[in-house]
Amino acid sequence: MRIRVDNKNIEVDSNKSLLLNLKDNGINIPHLCYQEGLEPEARCRICLVEINNKLVTSCNTYPKEGMEIKTKTKRVNRARKINAELLMPEHMDKCFRLNKHHDLCNIIGDLGLKEVRFNPTRKYTADLGASVIRDNNLCINCGRCVQVCAQVQATWAIDFAGRAHHEHVTPYFEHDLNDVACIKCGQCIAACPVGAIDEREHLQEVLAALKDKTKHVVVQTAPSIRASLGEEFDMPPGTLVTGKMIAALRRCGFNKVFDTNLGADMTIMEEGTEFLTRAKNNGPFPMITTCCPGWIKFMEHFYHDLIDSNNMSTCKSPHEMLGILIKTYYAKKAKISKKDIVVVSVMPCTAKKFESTRPEMKSDVDYVLTTREAAKLINHFNIDFKNLKDEEFDPALGISTGAGAVFGATGGVMEAALRTAYEVGTGKQLTKIEFDQLRGMDGIKTGTIIIKGKEIKFAVANGLANARELMKRKDDYHFIEIMACPGGCIGGGGQPLPFAWEKIHKRMAAIYKEDARLPLRKSHENPIVQKIYKEFLDKPLSKKAHKLLHTHYYKRGL
Amino acid sequence: MQIKKQTKGKALAKAKKLGQKATINLIKEKVLLGRGGAGFPTGTKWEMVYNEPEKEKYLICNADEGEPGTFKDKFILEKNPELVIEGIKIAMFAIGAKKAFIYLRGEYEYLENRLKKLIKKANIEIVVGAGAYICGDETAILESIEGKRGQARLKPPFPTVKGLYGKPTAINNVETLANVPLAIYYKDWNPNLRLYSLSGNVTKPGIYELPLGTKLCDLIKLGKPKNKIKAIYFGCFGGCMPHCEKTKLTPDDICGKDCIHGAGTIIAVDEKHSIVDVATNIAKFYEFESCGKCTPCREGTMRILALLENISLKNADMKDLNTLQELAEVIKETSFCGLGQTSTNHLLTALKYFRKEFEERIKEQKDRRRIR
Repeated sequence: MRIRVDNKNIEVDSNKSLLLNLKDNGINIPHLCYQEGLEPEARCRICLVEINNKLVTSCNTYPKEGMEIKTKTKRVNRARKINAELLMPEHMDKCFRLNKHHDLCNIIGDLGLKEVRFNPTRKYTADLGASVIRDNNLCINCGRCVQVCAQVQATWAIDFAGRAHHEHVTPYFEHDLNDVACIKCGQCIAACPVGAIDEREHLQEVLAALKDKTKHVVVQTAPSIRASLGEEFDMPPGTLVTGKMIAALRRCGFNKVFDTNLGADMTIMEEGTEFLTRAKNNGPFPMITTCCPGWIKFMEHFYHDLIDSNNMSTCKSPHEMLGILIKTYYAKKAKISKKDIVVVSVMPCTAKKFESTRPEMKSDVDYVLTTREAAKLINHFNIDFKNLKDEEFDPALGISTGAGAVFGATGGVMEAALRTAYEVGTGKQLTKIEFDQLRGMDGIKTGTIIIKGKEIKFAVANGLANARELMKRKDDYHFIEIMACPGGCIGGGGQPLPFAWEKIHKRMAAIYKEDARLPLRKSHENPIVQKIYKEFLDKPLSKKAHKLLHTHYYKRGL
Repeated sequence: MQIKKQTKGKALAKAKKLGQKATINLIKEKVLLGRGGAGFPTGTKWEMVYNEPEKEKYLICNADEGEPGTFKDKFILEKNPELVIEGIKIAMFAIGAKKAFIYLRGEYEYLENRLKKLIKKANIEIVVGAGAYICGDETAILESIEGKRGQARLKPPFPTVKGLYGKPTAINNVETLANVPLAIYYKDWNPNLRLYSLSGNVTKPGIYELPLGTKLCDLIKLGKPKNKIKAIYFGCFGGCMPHCEKTKLTPDDICGKDCIHGAGTIIAVDEKHSIVDVATNIAKFYEFESCGKCTPCREGTMRILALLENISLKNADMKDLNTLQELAEVIKETSFCGLGQTSTNHLLTALKYFRKEFEERIKEQKDRRRIR
């Protein structure tokens, strides 16, 4: 179909909105309330274009044959500018300094907004949760957080309340986020175009620990950080920055830089063995992975029947496993007292912050930094990230496999677990270790594998709305992996802003590139894993392993 | 008055004899236009719902009469509710709806019991609103009945295609539905007779039934004003115009002056009152009743009120008048639903016809400041 835009003919797809069609043709229409993959709600009234002398929002208008669109008229510009100006009073001091992370700051330059004629009026108290904090004074009521929480995560922790200019986003009955069924996944942070929702920073605590000479500060980095940290330093999405990341963290003053991928390998050993045991005892099935703290809290709120029915694996998440190993195994080897060690995790995730404050895990990991905070830390020390020379992880707990690396993408845990479960269970080598049916961005992926003559059905879901779908037919499967965020950890709530599907695809490609690059690609082949079991834990699921590497869950109300 | 006539179920019987298609055609032939404000042909609306293949369909009687100065629906529901119920039954039959809702304005709750008695066994449910002006909008009414926040929906899809619970729905005003049995039963039914709600600076406010095309000054004379009438407001959303001898009450004649004929609301303002104060008062109404969904209406109505209060009470300068004008225009052009789009009509027309009063007020304030 052809339409005319600013007196030029362009070819468009009639199933896409004008906004997306124009974007495909290189015409960027400023917009705030529309996020890729969500239904347009047309709240912000910024993405205006002129059709037949009428102003319409391009996010929810679809092209028609012979349509004449004007995107640059005086009227369009004035309307966009005034609507942006109406949203600006609370952002006066913040947004006129360009902040590339926030859509609002990015568009006011394009709109030519130079002064704001109105004074701030909002008077809300900030909601300071354990991992997600909200400041309604900065909110522009675009509704993206509400939409993401409901449509992508199916959690409904927040919604609009109030009328007219008293309308604001809030958890039910004006409770704090801490008191409601919020799973802390941080997708609302990724959706927010103005930074009204943010993570609870652990940065100051980490800086204090780094200054304290009596502390031995150890950092570990999650599998997906190496595929996304570069974006914070203007590198193209999908750049692998493993070596630079390690070098930068060393320069920040961390005594040791360890790899959470090793924790992932440990998780696979425990979880894979747990699965093989279940396979031997014929159940209980399905076994459901527990690597994702967002999913765990979701399960505790909405699906806690799974606790009684023993469907949940009991394994801790990888960084908690490595955390406790650092404080026991590594402390013993390095002859450092446990209380002098501070473990900092760099995670793509805000739910991990909540996880680290759980009473049953409290001592394992002291602080959690998101990818964004890690970048802030590196910038704090004025490190020229781009030009650093690559370095290697500290060898004590720094060798990992491709199986650990793929944890960062949806389907990765399952893929890694199957590699080990198959080879350990059958004693045979896999002919092809890539499980193509588990890769890609589909919401729910399924497959089967035959281990010792038994057909094992497995399923993988990312995004909790998909998880809800999968839970309806969970009994069809033996092994289920669930990741809360779209695309898995690479799309996590702690990853660099702003959110874009394109970036997630590129990070995913980087993760699989890392897997293919590594000499070792199966967890049970990891020499350090073998060493830890030999010297310290005896064997997977041993009594000691149970004490250190496994956990339990609570039933939570709504 | 035509609207007080009874049909006693005979119109419904006639419609049933005619069949669905013929009833719709009859309504189309009689040119019954919607009386809620937009003036959409009722027969056409019904036909659209009737033609939808979906089995489940709904009819909604919109009795959420929230427009300031409008009380014709209340008049009908008080004086002749039987006619409305019969109209609903005819509409249900014509479009093939098994269930109908009466969305009753919160303030009209006292009418609920009486209506319930009249409904008897018919499948008509009364939903009492909670007082939001926005819920009179045809898509917000759907959200409200479904139990959600009263906010307008995106159109398309239109309610006639995907309305209540996603099913085709016809939404008709009380006055429209009351005219349905009359149009079907009486051969001499006059489509041009409208109900006008007259209020403001008149000594005899109330409902007047007059044909379209009556001179506005004749209606005002019926209201017996004490002082000379300066301006006429067509409800809050319809805007205002100077009172003059020539104006006729027809949509064309009024729309030519940027106003909306709407639901026949006439608020007279006499010389003793300042248009600035009237505008501030109306702005207060919109600032309170905006639903909060879209930027221009949510933030804009608040800023407009602040600017007007500044002009009428504190201190403002001529620059603020330009800001006011600009804001009002953008709110009108870019708001999400009818509420926002019409929320500044009163101001834009006031600025057009009575700009002097605003300017004088600003000057007055400045002079007073100087004396102090």
